[in-house]
Formats: sequence, C-alpha cells, structure tokens
Amino acid sequence: MGLKRGFLFLLSLTLLVFGNIVTGQADDRLKTLVVAVNSDPANLEPGTNKAYPIGSEIILNVFDTLVAWTPPAFEEMEGRLAESWTVSPDGKEFTFKLRDGVKFHDGTDFNAEAVKFSFERTKEINPYMKANFGLISSIDVLGPLEVKITLTKAMPVFLSILAQPQAAVVSPAAVKKFGDDFNVNPVGTGPFKFVSYTPDTSVVLEANTDYFRGASKLSRIIFRVIPEASTRRLELENGGIDISQQNGQLYSIPVEDIKAFNKNPDVDVIEVPSQIFRQFEFNNSHPDSPVNDVRVRKAMAYAIDYDGLLNGILGGTASRVYGPLPTNSWAFNPAMKERAFSYDPDKAKQLLAEAGYKPGDLKFKLYSFQGNLWGSICTFLQANFADVGIDVTVAQTEFPIYRNLHTTGQHEIAMDGRQPWYNDPDAHITIGYYSPLADSAMTFRMPEDAELDGLILKAQATVDFEERKELYFQIQEMIMDRVPAAYLFSNKIIVFKRSNVKGLVINSAPPLNEYWSVYKE
Amino acid sequence: MLKYFLRRLVMLGPVLFLVLVIIFSLARIIPGDPAASLLGPGATNEQIEALRAQLHLDENVVKQFLSYAGGLFVGDMGSSMKTGRPVFDEILSRLPATLELSIVATLMALVIGIPSGVYSAIRANSSFDHVNRTLSLVGVSAPAFLLALILQLIFGIYLGWLPVSGRLSPYLIAEPITGFIILDGIISGNFDVAWSAFLHVLLPASVLAAFLGATVGRFVRTSMLEVLGEDYIRTARAKGLSERLVIFVHALRNSLLPAITIVGLKFAEMLGGAILTETVFAWPGIGRFMFEAIKNRDYPVIQGNTLVFALLFMLTSLIVDLLYGYLDPRIRKRMSR
Repeated sequence: MGLKRGFLFLLSLTLLVFGNIVTGQADDRLKTLVVAVNSDPANLEPGTNKAYPIGSEIILNVFDTLVAWTPPAFEEMEGRLAESWTVSPDGKEFTFKLRDGVKFHDGTDFNAEAVKFSFERTKEINPYMKANFGLISSIDVLGPLEVKITLTKAMPVFLSILAQPQAAVVSPAAVKKFGDDFNVNPVGTGPFKFVSYTPDTSVVLEANTDYFRGASKLSRIIFRVIPEASTRRLELENGGIDISQQNGQLYSIPVEDIKAFNKNPDVDVIEVPSQIFRQFEFNNSHPDSPVNDVRVRKAMAYAIDYDGLLNGILGGTASRVYGPLPTNSWAFNPAMKERAFSYDPDKAKQLLAEAGYKPGDLKFKLYSFQGNLWGSICTFLQANFADVGIDVTVAQTEFPIYRNLHTTGQHEIAMDGRQPWYNDPDAHITIGYYSPLADSAMTFRMPEDAELDGLILKAQATVDFEERKELYFQIQEMIMDRVPAAYLFSNKIIVFKRSNVKGLVINSAPPLNEYWSVYKE
Repeated sequence: MLKYFLRRLVMLGPVLFLVLVIIFSLARIIPGDPAASLLGPGATNEQIEALRAQLHLDENVVKQFLSYAGGLFVGDMGSSMKTGRPVFDEILSRLPATLELSIVATLMALVIGIPSGVYSAIRANSSFDHVNRTLSLVGVSAPAFLLALILQLIFGIYLGWLPVSGRLSPYLIAEPITGFIILDGIISGNFDVAWSAFLHVLLPASVLAAFLGATVGRFVRTSMLEVLGEDYIRTARAKGLSERLVIFVHALRNSLLPAITIVGLKFAEMLGGAILTETVFAWPGIGRFMFEAIKNRDYPVIQGNTLVFALLFMLTSLIVDLLYGYLDPRIRKRMSR
C-alpha cells in the first residue's frame, strides 16, 4: 500500500507539470453539453426502439416527429415536420401538409414519401408500436408535401401517438444504405446529427447547422453512460458532466442528493410534475379473495398515510394523485380531490369490522417490483396496514416473473404503475380499466362492466375535445365508485444540472428532454 | 511439454460444448421471458407475442439450440435481443476495456505484492511486517465499492488529481485500432488520448489491485518464510553465498509458485469482469454487460459471454500450468510424461 501511495504521488507530480494537456480548450467546452445517462442507450432509431428511455431521448434530438406538444405547458400540439393538419369528422383520416425545404442529415429531401416509408417500416418491424400503428389501414401520398393517414377506427389520440419518438421520420436513403446498422447510425432531420456510439460509454451528437427551427447554440452533445448514482453525483459536483438526466432519478429516492445539491451554488435541481403514476392495487377479478368486498378495499385505502408517504419516505420527490389520472393530465377531474381517500385508520377499522373481519384475520402478500424505491413504499404500507390489523408480507419480485404472476392474476394486492409514452388520458384509462383487456397486460384486472367499458370505448373514439374531456370526467367518477386501487403518487421528473446550463425545457409525457434550446454560459 | 500443451488444447473443444449445453439450458430455466423483460411493465401480451416471434422465441427449444450451435461453427454468435447488434461485435467492443483494466490491475498488484511480501518475510515480525500485514488485511477485506468511493473522493474530488469515472475524457476522441485506448493513443501518436486513458485506468485498477496485491503479498510472505527454513537455503548460506543471492536466486523462485496460482486464477476471474468496480467507475467492460444481459434475459449475449469467459479462463489456467512447469523442473518432468 505504501508503495502505491508513493507511485500515485509521483504520478500526480508529473500531472501537475503536464496537466494542461488534458484540460484547456475552454471555448469548446462551453459549446459542448455532457449529459449523464444511467444505462446504455440501445436502439437509436424509431423502427427498433421499444420505448427505452435513453435511446428515445436521443431519437427526439436526432429526428423530428410530424407534431409535438408545445412546451412548457404541453397542453396543445404544434406542427414540427407537419406545417398543418386536418382530422376528418369521423376521426379516421388525418391529412398533413408538410414543411417545405427540410433536408435529412444525409442531404436527401424530406417529403411525403419519407413519411409513408417511415411509418410503414416502423409498423412492420417494431412490435412495441403494434397496438397503435396496427390501426393504420393506409398511408396515401397526396402530393410531394401532403400525406393522408387512414385508420381502421376513430382514434383522436392518434395525433398524440404521432408525437412520441417511435413515430419520428427516418431518412429512407440512410435506411437502405445502413440496413440493420441503421440502429447505430441514425439519420433524421432533427437539431443534432449523430456522430458516434461507443457501447456502454457514450453517444456523441453534433449540431445540425441547417435545422429548420434554427441551429442550436451548442456544437456538440455527449451522452455519457454512468450507471451508478453516486458517481453521477461526484461527476456533476466536479464539472465532469453538465446534466444528470432524469431517468437515473426515477427509480431511486434521490432525497439525499437533492439536499446536498441545494447547498451547492454550482448545481441546480429541477423538479417538474410528470404523468408517471404509482398505485397500490387490488386484483379486481380474483375469484375468492376478501378484497372482492368493497368494504375491505375501502378500509385498505383509508389505512394509508398518503402525506406521510410523500413527505416522509419520498421526501417531496413526488406529488399526490387523487384519482385514476394525474393532476397534470388535461382530462383530470378536479372533483377527484374531494373524492380521494384520506388517512383515517379508525374508519378503516370500522369498515373491516362491518365486513366481519377481526384484527389479524386478514393476511395478504403484497407483490412489488424490485428496487429501493418500491421496497421503501412497501414497508411503509405494511406498517400502515398493521396498524388497522391487516397482516401483510412483502414480496419484491424480479420483473419478468412478477409480470407473469400479475397478468395471470395470482396476486390479491400488488404495487403497480404506469409511465405513459404519449400525453393522453387514454394511456392510463383504456389499458388500465377496459375489462376485455384485463388479462392482456399489467392492468387493474377489472371485471366485466358494460357501463364503464362502453364509456371508455366512447371516450377513446370521440373527436370533439370538450365532449371527450367530459366523458373522461364521468369515467373517473365511475372508477372511484369501484375502488380498484389506492392511488399513491406521481414521481416528479428530477433533473440535476450545472447552474451555467440554461434553456432546458423538461417534457412530461414522455419524460424525455430536447436539448435544442440549451446553451452554456 | 508440447504434447501436454496440445492435449490440453484439444480438451478445450468438449469442455466448451459442455459449457454451451449447460448455459443454454440454465438461461432458459430461469423463469422470465426476454420479450416481456425487454418491453417493460407497460407492455401488452400482444406486443410481447409479436416480439417473441421476431426473436424466434416461439420456436422449439431444440431447434433454437441447433440453429445457435450451427451458427457458432461458422463464427456467428447470434444477435443481442436488446440491441439487435451481433453478439461478437458487442463482446469485442467491451473486452479490450476489461483486459486493459485487468492487466494494469495485475501489474500493480505484482509490483506492490511481491516486494512487500518478500520484505515482510525477510524482516518477519519487524514493525514493517506488522504494518504491511495490517494493510494487506484491509486490502483483502475492504469491499470494492467502498474502496472505490473513498478513492474517488480523495483523488478525484478533494485532490482533483485523477478523473472520477470513465475510460477517457469525454472531450477527447480515440481512433479505435486495437481497442486498448492507451495503446491506440501511443500507436496513433495521440499522446493526449494515451495519457488521459492512463489516468482514467488508475483508480479502478487500484481497487482491483488492492485485493489482489494484498493476497499476493500474504502468499509470498508465507511461502517465503517456509522456503527460508528449508535445508537447501541453510546449505546455500553455509556455502557462504551472499544473503542477496540466497534470497533472490534460491528462495524467491520457489516461493513464487503459490503466488502464481493465485495471480493466474484471479486474473482469469477479472477477465470475467468486475461488476461492482466497472459500475462505480462507469467502466465499459464485460462484467456489467453480462449483468445487464442476465437482467434482460438476453439469451444470445448470456451464452456468448459465458463461452468467451470459459475460453479465457481455460487459456489462462493453461498458461499458469505452463509457467509452473517452467519454474519447477519436477512438474515439467511430470508434464512430459
């Protein structure tokens, strides 16, 4: 050990003498943004990306979609590659007028043929897009800059689906040139051009000086793969990275980091509400569980100390949710705030007594995902339930196995959540509560319910915005009557950045960033 | 000697085949479907079925095995289910990082371990010996992630001498030639790159070297003490040879034998990747790659990695055995039979 110290000492002396070799080029650094991501960014193009968050974020910066949600509110849509669009009254036909003079990074022209090529390709090769792009019955090129997409059924949410990274438009020439390797040689029209990908190390992008919305002030973005949270923190404090991207904070409880960074003038903490949703849910189709009794479900919902969970365990890194939709969804029904369950252990005990259960009678196994975040929440709930006489053991289960037992309905109670990739209430409601889909994914496993099912289908297909919103208001009321779950919280999107990084716009659904507007001071 | 070498080489084939059969079945015995795992919690059964078909997971297992094994004979290790890239390329882009780290760590360990072990043995029970033994106990027992964090804090943050993580400054671009960045930097004359890569490897290598160096030191000390008590050492001393000659010519060579076994085995282990060290230092090596592959049930990657580990492990142990023969004439004689 002594020798090693000596060696390092000698080495550092050498470094002091020659140290300037590695540093320097300050100008260049001001134009380079280094973004830390927590895992290897697999699949850098829309045809193969299956909603992997890091790859998706790179797609958003290299490619463009036809339409996008307008920041910072994300309540209205704006045209990107599309200049304007019309939706037919029956909600089945979408006609887009495309922007003129846009070129792909390889110099070829963006046009209606490219849109048709991209969407047909993604529909064919990307299983993740099967549900949505599967609805496309035809794509017609009406002119060089005009394209019509026809769906098999009315689906107003389709516009929102076109705003997700998997619906970005690719260069047909580059796809032909690279073949399977297009995956690691993406060519789009976006604000940044792809330069290089080094597995588990980095992705480098450079500014597209001809970008149709104007060139970025940055000249380069480097996405650095740093899997360990403590390392990202050290690198951020040390200036080795400019931004610690949100995905690294989503599955942990970054309270300690936030506290430390709040004292550090060089580092800013950005917290933005997301549409990510976490709930404690019941198997609503279990053949013979005590949770079939709505009094038991209500009792468990009253037993949870929601504010204690938010402030104590999550330390303010999440916001309260009240019903089946997050508060920042455009369809959120404000009446849910009144209807939401609050912490009332006495009422819980009373409901259990009414249902005929004495303390200690009820025993459940609470299934959950793995990881610290879920573990902490589960033990908190376990204590809450113990207070009202319900005995719960926690089973944190590895994901593919957990999914299997959940979708086959082997659980009575479980932790679950949803991270919607497109900004629409449909992303939460249809897959979660539409009973014919109960076995098709990790859902609330709702029993057959003609009234609710009918309403969900109607809302999905209604074209008029206000009418649609009203339908979702009713759906939320109806779901609350049935107590399928206790809605816990919505994670905030948390981004750590150096304070000289300006102009960052955080997107909430999907929770991915565009770096086009970012610059360093 | 040559016959022994060839015999061992031929043995590699059947062993690798056995490894393949075991890992192929084991990967599929672990419950959990790769398609479900790749698509994440929000996916529907429909999406998963479509991906299973695309990945040929809906085919009969025997057919899957035959097509995989058949591919191996023509050098095709399949494609990663996650990235879609050929497994061979994926491994090749990470193996140099692991090799570079392992080699530097082993060199560091030898440079520290052997002299300190020898000196401790010669001066047994001196204060140097006590301090050295205590330090080596710390080296052997300190958890890698803790040591890593402490080194990052001291040398990366407080002193600011060494980079906290990564393999190269993100602002530098290395032209890949061999994949060993230090070497590539020197070959291409880009000394900024070589220097930066060298600085980056020091901390993670120190973490690995702390354990290995301490182990080597303890082994060398023990066997040196044993050897120093042998008759032939007494004879050598009685002949009037200088103490230096006795130690470095007569004793050291014999006392290195156990250390070589340990270094060989540990080196081979390091080639399998050091998951914790690689994770903490964001080192793009093979260990983390394997860890992620198991998590995602990326069968072709799990299989490919295991085959490569097995091959490297067997080759290393073959080299160790040959070295043994070189150092010890008695073993050499037995090998020749």
